[in-house]
Amino acid sequence: MLRGAEDGGAMGRAPRSTVPAHVPARAPGGGGRVAGGPPGAGVPPAAQRSMEAREARLAWGFVLPALAAIALIALFPLGWTVWESLHLHDLRMPWLGRPFVGLDHYAEALGDERFWGALLHTAIFTAGSVTLELLLGLVLALALNRAYRGRGLVRMAVLVPWAIPTVVAALVWRFMFEGQAGIVNAVLADVGLIDRSFVWFIDAVAAWVPVILADVWKMTPFVALLLLAGLQNIDAELYEAARIDGAGAWRQFVDVTLPLLKPAILVALIFRTLDAFRVFDLIYVMTGGGPGTSTEPIALYAFNSLLNYLRFGYGSALSVIIFLVTFGLALFYIRVLGADLTGERR
Amino acid sequence: MPRLARARTAVRRLMASLLAAAACTACGQPAGEGVVVRFSGSALGAEAEVLRAQLARFMEANPGIRVEIQPTPDAADQRHQLYVQWLNARAGDPDVLQLDVIWTPEFAAAGWILPLDRFAPPVDSFFPATIEANRWRGRLFALPWFVDVGMLYWRTDLLPRAPETFEELRAFADEARARGATPYGFVWQGARYEGLVTVFLEHLGGFGGAILDADGRVVVDEEPAVRALECMRGAVESGLVPRAALTWQEEQTRFAFQNGQAVLMRNWPYAYALLADSAQSRVAGRFAVAPMPAAPGGEPTAALGGAQLAVNAYTEHPEAAYAVIEYLTRPEQMLERARVVGQYPTRPALYDDPALAASLAVPPAQARAIIARAEPRPVTPVYTQLSELLQVRLHRALTGQQEPAAALADAAREMRRLLERAGLGPGASVAAGVPVPGGGASAEARVAAGR
Repeated sequence: MLRGAEDGGAMGRAPRSTVPAHVPARAPGGGGRVAGGPPGAGVPPAAQRSMEAREARLAWGFVLPALAAIALIALFPLGWTVWESLHLHDLRMPWLGRPFVGLDHYAEALGDERFWGALLHTAIFTAGSVTLELLLGLVLALALNRAYRGRGLVRMAVLVPWAIPTVVAALVWRFMFEGQAGIVNAVLADVGLIDRSFVWFIDAVAAWVPVILADVWKMTPFVALLLLAGLQNIDAELYEAARIDGAGAWRQFVDVTLPLLKPAILVALIFRTLDAFRVFDLIYVMTGGGPGTSTEPIALYAFNSLLNYLRFGYGSALSVIIFLVTFGLALFYIRVLGADLTGERR
Repeated sequence: MPRLARARTAVRRLMASLLAAAACTACGQPAGEGVVVRFSGSALGAEAEVLRAQLARFMEANPGIRVEIQPTPDAADQRHQLYVQWLNARAGDPDVLQLDVIWTPEFAAAGWILPLDRFAPPVDSFFPATIEANRWRGRLFALPWFVDVGMLYWRTDLLPRAPETFEELRAFADEARARGATPYGFVWQGARYEGLVTVFLEHLGGFGGAILDADGRVVVDEEPAVRALECMRGAVESGLVPRAALTWQEEQTRFAFQNGQAVLMRNWPYAYALLADSAQSRVAGRFAVAPMPAAPGGEPTAALGGAQLAVNAYTEHPEAAYAVIEYLTRPEQMLERARVVGQYPTRPALYDDPALAASLAVPPAQARAIIARAEPRPVTPVYTQLSELLQVRLHRALTGQQEPAAALADAAREMRRLLERAGLGPGASVAAGVPVPGGGASAEARVAAGR
């Protein structure tokens, strides 16, 4: 149940999916605050209170449909998943029934080597891909921010990888890395870096290379776009002032560009970390989690438990854990770093 | 206005037919139409044609029964998932289920399929191994429809004869490769999926090991099993088996063998006809099949595969459903399937029939010898789960992430834990637990009640 909400984002890789999945819990409070208007001058207090009450009612009326929708598509499935995770429900062992087992599934997860492996793989993937995407995205954004002929065209071209469906991109990358017939082996073998018969997908370490490269290739344009928007918000006069003060290009970048780009970098970081943490489709297509389970991320393990092994209870417990971790990450970003985003500009 | 009138008539007709349809659904068994049996099984291409023809003949002979084919995915995993979901929901449709050989105990223990003993099926005329694979706690739950066995394909132009031991296999292949005849020695299915388990099982039997012993205890961490896995890993590390094979399923191994890149291949019988087709195969006329090799202390072993037919426990029409199964497993229907789609009959007597020699690519006597040695995979309701645990560990060992002994020790530990969780641990008797599904709502119960 939770998977629907969680994977919708991972599948489409649409940036919008990340925030709504985790923010809804905050909506009711926000909705309430909207109602308070500025106190009108010269209106008697009683009348003002009744007007405020009316407005509050009206406001609740406006947000109610949205709240109901959120309850239906987010809270209800979430609650159901939690309920499932507390029960034994194994479709392939119907003779065991569906007894309440409390936190057994969570205890099993904590003692499950494959679960910890999956968590570690998710962290490796997230750290590797997000770091590279931020670095390359920054370089790309700086290049795109320059004024030159045909800039519009270049900006469009850069976005192409991002527009390609993840599954298609994953298949193409797998094909390029596949065994002796793959173009990567042909090129690298010609240079003398690897043996031509090297098989990327059966090496527990090397299998990460195509996976992370594919994600970087696909998602860097998105990061670049976010950073480009940030760059364009920087006042050109600041650079002029810096130049007059005798700052070189590097000094300008470090002291002007980076500090002012920080909000945009944080936005990109939030989107990409949360997205990468739930990575599913890319790895499902490229390695299936192998060799063994050495590239299996937590979302794929939860999927396997639920839909391949049909262990609804255990799979639900894993889904709840994914939810809690992403929720915690989102909360961390919003609480700790959010001040930089919404707070007063320096 | 005539257009409006026409439209009205059309609407009225539509309503009438909808009402009629609703009425039919309500009464369940439309009078005069007889019963409808839904059949779910492989129905693509030539298989669909032969199935339709056979069902048409069945309906002609049994005017009271109408059989409809219900399309289901052909990929085993997907079909399994779909069946499990339907049967959990206690759906009476489809009435007849085509099961993979490894699912019968699972479905039987779950109470999803009916025991067939009361129909007195002619069990003695089938290969004993295929019948054993379909028994659970002493009762027969499905009839074998056609059979699949693992075979060793070898190049007659490169080898003096088929190797009989793993050492001989290595020596033969090394010699051929040293001459530059082929880049690869031996190819098998090494990707992390069910196929890897069947390859392992054949090596395991060759070393005299097993996954579960006769009492259902896990013995996959014992010495013969470790030696079997070490043999497989050694083959990969020495280059006898290409490393790429650890991502291969059946078709990739067939392509390699067909393009003349390998001396030997482990595969199912389906590959034979394709390899013999000189239009696409470079080895046409230059290969033959043999049983898999064995080590001293082991037996040449072929993994048993194939399709079984079973009756859904929630069906409304168990007799009619069994009649369909009985008809489809008759000798003449099997001979027709062999002729049209090359599938191997499950009745040994048919291998003496001259008609079969003309239909099958592999000479019948050879095929019968291999099938007679076929080894069912562990007969347990949790086979698919055991296999998933084993697949991961086997793949870790073969890709060098774990030592074979450690990988099998871990696999065995996980398997024991699973059996315990399933209530199938040592000493536990699931027989007592084989539930009567639906609290008396099952067809079995209804039949018992004399319906």
